[in-house]
Amino acid sequence: MAVYHADALVIRSREYGESDRVLTLFSREMGKIQAVAKGVRKPKSRQRAGAQLFTYGDFLIHKGKSLDTVSQCSPKESFSYLWSDLDRSLAASAMAELLDISTISGQPNAELFTLTLTCLFLLEQYETSLLLSAYALRLMVILGYRPHLGDCVECGERLQGERLFFSSEAGGTLCGRCRESYSGRMVRAGSIAFMRQLIQADLSKLDRLRWAAWMREEVLETLRHYLEHKFERPLKSWRLGNTISDGLERHIRSLNGKEGKEFE
Amino acid sequence: MDFLNYPQPLADLISSLARLPGIGPKTAGRLAFYLLQQPQISQDLAQAILTANHSLKKCSICSNFTDQDPCALCQNPQRDSTELCVVEHPRDVVSLEKTKEFKGRYHVLHGVLSPMEGIGPEQLTINLLLKRLKGVQEVVMALNPTVEGEATALYLARLLKPLGIKVTRIAHGLPVGGDLEYADEVTIARALEGRRQL
Ligand SMILES: [Zn+2]
Ligand SMILES: [Zn+2]
Repeated sequence: MAVYHADALVIRSREYGESDRVLTLFSREMGKIQAVAKGVRKPKSRQRAGAQLFTYGDFLIHKGKSLDTVSQCSPKESFSYLWSDLDRSLAASAMAELLDISTISGQPNAELFTLTLTCLFLLEQYETSLLLSAYALRLMVILGYRPHLGDCVECGERLQGERLFFSSEAGGTLCGRCRESYSGRMVRAGSIAFMRQLIQADLSKLDRLRWAAWMREEVLETLRHYLEHKFERPLKSWRLGNTISDGLERHIRSLNGKEGKEFE
Repeated sequence: MDFLNYPQPLADLISSLARLPGIGPKTAGRLAFYLLQQPQISQDLAQAILTANHSLKKCSICSNFTDQDPCALCQNPQRDSTELCVVEHPRDVVSLEKTKEFKGRYHVLHGVLSPMEGIGPEQLTINLLLKRLKGVQEVVMALNPTVEGEATALYLARLLKPLGIKVTRIAHGLPVGGDLEYADEVTIARALEGRRQL
């Protein structure tokens, strides 16, 4: 039976069967991999820690006919700060979800791997939504979906004014003439410029950037809309993180109001 | 697995069995053939499943499985109604009750927050929990030690603390009989955090 090593990060971990977990790993060499970790929900399992969401480590994997099996994991980092911080935990989960829906299995992308790992390390110190936004934008750049920010996607005209028209459909900002055939939203020029900085700034100096609450809200919304439009799916962790940190009272009211409402 | 050569009812039986936890297509096939050869066992099993499904429901207070509503635990006047223990699954109530350590009441969430898997607060019994807080002084989180279990506990703490309720968590530490040497860093960190005086 073929065995291989993977330098990888656990980006999904689902309970499976009696005591197993199915892991989605994002590895440096092979991209996304699915593998079963057997018996890891038993308290005495030695592979327990390695099967936890967000564990980064060296995985020894047996190639199987239908599903591969993790036979050993040596964790290098478990990002334990995530266990005691709800907002950061949800941001990490939003990053993992985004990575999962934007990639297909077996396609290596070392740049994306490095970005994800770096951002998980930085998330411990940096402002949560700042890092999440920078991660999302840079992931889009790596995958070839860099949004046009500041000039018109269609005709290239330099845009001026306090508010610019951003269209997820067109993939960026549009001038007055070109916007006719697109749906979109008005976004303040400051937010557009800030998104440019989130892409260009040195990741390790990201914490020097400052943004006002309105800008944060606008960037997060514009980005979420853009990402959901591109991948044609709701970003569930991203949405939950937002409702919990920004509108807890409204959130509680909605919990009391609806029973068993479909989560989307 | 290819069931195409089987008659439809047999293929249906096999694929239904294969949906059970811990049962793969091969085992499902074996079980199906066994059941076909043992009509009495099949009959009893089918009846037992239907009866259990029909008579068991979720308690309207704590959401545990029960054949009477409210369940025996919720009706028991001996249980301390100022303490509430939040668990993930009905089977966790059984585990905790075996210890005879906890005298309060339970609340079963039927899962933990896992937005990626489509489980948000609305999929859990959090609205029912918020409705039964009158007179509750302490809520004990007894969720599984996973990132998601921990996030769920933190989320509930954020909802409950502003209401003046004490929120605690059972200690996460080393398994009895386990070797410190083999424990991972998160486990050891949690165990240190939950240390107590001797
Ligand atoms: Zn234009
Ligand atoms: Zn009950």
